[in-house]
Amino acid sequence: MHCSKQGKLAWVGVLLSASVWFGAAARVKSEQATPPNPDQLEFFEKHIRPVLAERCYPCHSAKAGKTKAGLSLDSAAGVLRGGESGPVIVPGKPGESALISAIRYESNEMPPDGRLSSEIVADFVHWVETGAFDPRTEAAGAAPSEPAPQKDGHWAFRNPVIGELPAVQNASWVSTDVDRFILARLEQANVAPSPPASPRALLRRLYYDLTGLPPQAEEADRFAAGQGADYAAVVDSLLASPRFGERWGRHWMDVARYADTKGYVFQEDRNYPKAYLFRDWVIQAFNNDMPYDQFITNQLAADQVDPSQAAAMGFLTLGRRFINNKNDIIDDRIDVVTRGLMGVTVTCARCHDHKYDPVTMADYYGMYGVFDSSREPAEASAPLMMVDESQPREPVIFLRGNPSNRGPQVPRKFLACLCSGDPVPYRHGSGRREMASMIASTDNPLTARVWVNRVWLHLVGRGLVTTPSDFGSRSDPPSHPELLDWLACRFMQEHWSTKWLVRQIVMSQAYRQACDDRADGAAADPENRLVWRMNRRRMDLESIRDGLLTAAGRLDLTMGGPSVPLTEPPFATRRSVYGFIERQNLPNFFRIFDFAGPDTHNPARPYTTVPQQALFLMNSPFAIEQASNLAARSAAAGGGNTTARIKSLYRFALARDASDEETALCAHFVETSEPAAAAAAIADPWQYGWGRFVAEQGITQFNPLPHFTGSAWQGGKDLPDPQLGWVMLNAPGGHPGNDLDHAAIRRFVVPQSGRLVIRGSLHHPAEQGDGVVARVVRQNGGIVKEFTAHHSTTPTDCEPLTVGAGESIDLLVDCGAGGNNSDGFSWTVTIRWESEKGDAREWSSEGGFHGPPPPPLDRWTCLAHVLLMSNEFHFVD
Amino acid sequence: MTGHGNPFEQLALTRRELLRACGMGLGSLALGQMLSESSVAASSGANPLAPRPPQFPVKAKHVIHLFMNGGPSHVDTFDPKPSLEKYAGKPLPTDNLKTERPTGAALPSPFKFKKCGQSGIEVSEIFSHVGESIDDIAVIRSMYADVPNHEPSLLLMNCGAARQIRPSVGSWVTYGLGTENQNLPAFVAMCPGGYPIQESQNWQAGFLPGVFQGTYIDSQHTRIEQLIEHIRNDRISLPRQREQLDLLQQLNQRHAEARQQDKELEARIQSFELAFRMQTEAAEAFDATREPQHILDMYGPGVQARQILIARRLVERGVRFVQLWHGAGQPWDSHDDLAIQHRNLAGQCDQAIGALLKDLKQRGLLDETLVIWGGEFGRTPAVELPKQGSNAGKINGRDHNHYGFTVWMAGGGVKGGITHGATDEFGFQAVENRVHVHDLHATILQLLGFDHLKLTYRYAGRDFRLTDVAGNVVRELIA
Repeated sequence: MHCSKQGKLAWVGVLLSASVWFGAAARVKSEQATPPNPDQLEFFEKHIRPVLAERCYPCHSAKAGKTKAGLSLDSAAGVLRGGESGPVIVPGKPGESALISAIRYESNEMPPDGRLSSEIVADFVHWVETGAFDPRTEAAGAAPSEPAPQKDGHWAFRNPVIGELPAVQNASWVSTDVDRFILARLEQANVAPSPPASPRALLRRLYYDLTGLPPQAEEADRFAAGQGADYAAVVDSLLASPRFGERWGRHWMDVARYADTKGYVFQEDRNYPKAYLFRDWVIQAFNNDMPYDQFITNQLAADQVDPSQAAAMGFLTLGRRFINNKNDIIDDRIDVVTRGLMGVTVTCARCHDHKYDPVTMADYYGMYGVFDSSREPAEASAPLMMVDESQPREPVIFLRGNPSNRGPQVPRKFLACLCSGDPVPYRHGSGRREMASMIASTDNPLTARVWVNRVWLHLVGRGLVTTPSDFGSRSDPPSHPELLDWLACRFMQEHWSTKWLVRQIVMSQAYRQACDDRADGAAADPENRLVWRMNRRRMDLESIRDGLLTAAGRLDLTMGGPSVPLTEPPFATRRSVYGFIERQNLPNFFRIFDFAGPDTHNPARPYTTVPQQALFLMNSPFAIEQASNLAARSAAAGGGNTTARIKSLYRFALARDASDEETALCAHFVETSEPAAAAAAIADPWQYGWGRFVAEQGITQFNPLPHFTGSAWQGGKDLPDPQLGWVMLNAPGGHPGNDLDHAAIRRFVVPQSGRLVIRGSLHHPAEQGDGVVARVVRQNGGIVKEFTAHHSTTPTDCEPLTVGAGESIDLLVDCGAGGNNSDGFSWTVTIRWESEKGDAREWSSEGGFHGPPPPPLDRWTCLAHVLLMSNEFHFVD
Repeated sequence: MTGHGNPFEQLALTRRELLRACGMGLGSLALGQMLSESSVAASSGANPLAPRPPQFPVKAKHVIHLFMNGGPSHVDTFDPKPSLEKYAGKPLPTDNLKTERPTGAALPSPFKFKKCGQSGIEVSEIFSHVGESIDDIAVIRSMYADVPNHEPSLLLMNCGAARQIRPSVGSWVTYGLGTENQNLPAFVAMCPGGYPIQESQNWQAGFLPGVFQGTYIDSQHTRIEQLIEHIRNDRISLPRQREQLDLLQQLNQRHAEARQQDKELEARIQSFELAFRMQTEAAEAFDATREPQHILDMYGPGVQARQILIARRLVERGVRFVQLWHGAGQPWDSHDDLAIQHRNLAGQCDQAIGALLKDLKQRGLLDETLVIWGGEFGRTPAVELPKQGSNAGKINGRDHNHYGFTVWMAGGGVKGGITHGATDEFGFQAVENRVHVHDLHATILQLLGFDHLKLTYRYAGRDFRLTDVAGNVVRELIA
């Protein structure tokens, strides 16, 4: 992985362990100490110095003040020191020298304005091979323009501290200590906080935030009647609800890039059949308020601290399998651990030292070694577990991330930037348990902060740090650094209790504000970073789906167990958190509602508004099903009275009573809508019937076939039908009836006037009998053409016809004069329509074959459907 | 009867009405502000697919990528190597480069090449229709990739990285430009009969928001409801649905009035209007039979012709990026029977590709549509040797070759009638003016109005781009 923003203009150095670095320096020095070898001197002066001067100094000369990427090449010392992230030559080893790979255009491409000739490149290779002799004695010039990042320089790498609670003027507004931090900043900015949200809005917000489900109307009525006085009791009851773990477990599953499948693994079985054990473990852990440090430790090292919690290790083992490429699997694990738990982007250092943060390749491969020394046992008894190898493997740095380019060995150890002093190499097994203890530690400056920030993000709609998985030096500083630290420290003091943390935030006045926009606030702080109001939020996928099922009265609150498919009928009614997640080909439903992509660790979901979301709600069988259920429910509750039924619809869907104006609008809708069938004036062109061809008049007598089996139209449930006999039509063809009065007729009704081209193929397979007679008959103009087939195939192309709108064309098949023995046939016909203007359409008898349309939705279902699509339903104030 | 066939005819809107609808009520926040990792947390609500101008003005607005998955042989299509005749059945004078499987003697092309157009560029007989438009085509004969295996090479060609999760070219382009027609998907990936290998990773959004993911369509189907999910409702007629939306918007308006006309609420209101129109527009756009007979005849029969013609209809309607795959799996992977297989495969698409180029040109769309043809790599000039489980042992096919292969581009500001770069005498590796896949990507972005160094997305603490830390624009390809 590369992190360079500047691309080829940046020198990407290669980290070498200290021993190699000093070894190289010592070697150069010793060579300089001996008298210069005249051949080396001549070679340098003739072949190297002129090229450096002409092609490299323009950007890399300390004297000229141009040291791009911190690299100066106009002195021996500058060459030796290298660029921002390490030396650029390793004397004697051109293959490991970044300068050589750059001029070979293998990594960075240098010089950027054109490649050096292969002769010159060969000269440089020779120069490095023979020790990179450099006679220049000038000083190295100034230090690099961008100094290497320091671990103590960046706020996130210093331990959080509890400062004094800030003083505020409007102390009466303050409910909790959180409010002091928020209010102090608002008073500084001279922006007043917003008034409290209405009790109904607050209750709905709290329900969705804590449980992912809406309150019932009765609960909302009771809460509103009491002016929200028992808010604290409601908070406590929701924290105690099993729904809390389902809601917050799903948030954690985003962090853990949870999926039920492995991604693309060619022909191997893709499923992780036991993935759900991890999901269930996470939900239980949240419900039991497992201390967060223990929660993390179990996920990283349950095998060593508490094997009964082995399912927790799905956090590591349920990632994408990258066609079983070990290095990519380990990279994904390093990523989920470092970004997910600590907000550090360590995987940058897979190929080179981090450009902006104090993370080195030694850090990366120090972690690599931990996972390389762990394995997943094959026994089915511990499906998600990871255990240590009996013999740990000592990692080596892969130069430029290339496993076949092995660099120096590094110890398995924790990230240096999070250690006080030099990191101590792990001593026990793989070191995974030691790593876990250093992450789940009060001494780790990031772990608590990162989790506190995620919780704030989920509750307030925006993180104190806006990049929840990157607290590095390139992230924006926190909006309220003292609050972040206070929450982090108090959280740890409170035994890492997530429920304590959630309670602290939702009990604040800041959380309880209304989300109405205000001109003064918008002018002072348009992004609402200071939290002068609450953020209005569109519901996430799980809340939408669970909310629809709740309104429909269908939500099944069974907990746990194997994942259930969500997008295939018959539709599951379990909570969405129990849905099956197909990592490789995630169904559209997930993508269009901004589900957290399970490919890699996911920092936060986007919230987009696209028409595909509307299409799902307007047309998906799932949405229609819930609208029908809601309508039925309202009928049972509201009886035959329109107003009463509208009232119950509103209460089920939106947990409130409809206003008089809304009741009037809805009543108008249900009372004045056209009957559904009449509204659907635009007919499908195909009809299916039976009848007789009246040769004298050149017309057909057409009677609709009454029964559809699911694949064929016929006289009744059984074939032959007691009255209509054998007459039948299916997609490719059918069977004529028993006599000439019972021909099978496929009728096409011309939708618009124009020219018709009819082409087709009639096939009668049987040898027995006398075959069939097929005719194309137009309603007004008599027979167009007649065909016969008996154990044969006949093309049925007709001359183009000029037709008028509404005219019918019948494709009629009868059994012929000799009876209907063995007269099954296929007759596929394509009807092409063209207008004079050049517009065209085609209809296929086979592709367009259909049964009776499903019954149109009644008007109450249509109304219920509208409420389920409304903005009020989909946003949380 | 309702709900079958196409009941939408009478409600069709003109294209102008549709385009006008696209801009309605949608915020024009700066892209970076709207979509970086830092802002996804705060709900922005703006439409991320609203059209946006490129960084600098260019001709190209749309892309049609004809993906010959499996790896078409360059020496049998657009890179003639007469020297192979000299060594037919004998070892090449140079060592065979190591590819996925062992290879043996020189295998001359079974096809004849013919000079085409004013430029006289030689094209294989199996692509004679394409050859007719050669003066509009820039043939890159010096492409190279990194490894001779399908999976990493597909991801490299499509996403710029062989294994890691990265956004596809189409996702980057729609992230950069949005799309002109909100009633159709911005980025469409069509593959008849199922998925290519690596499946939807080939058009993944990676770390970009999911709305930039390609919409996969199995173009084997012809019915709109099988092509696009939830595009129809067989329980509610369109007039009835219009009534529903009218009531919905009345209720939504009242809701928004009480909330200071929050722009996120407004955006969602508009999204329903767009969706309503999409039902009509999409059904019409994906129905190739609506073309006049002479156009249908020009493209020829078959599913390839239909999807290529649909691609033209889509870009004509403002779709940003259309990727067409030849078929499920890896159809162009001719390890055996290359002469038969390549002739068949080219036969399925040559006429339609030729027709596409001419058709775009006659409509004045070729200038604004960048057409790209190629696979994930090419094939060896040496015959593949029998290997149990790898091939049928017929000794008449070619192995994968990432050292050198051909991609061609046409339209969209590409210089026509040229070849760029060259492979060696036998076509084993690119030797002259070599073009890496990263360079191709840099050039594609340049043609679309983006400096590939500057089309970036902040993710996991840094700015990512399609070309990672590589990529040089091949200026010679640009008119």
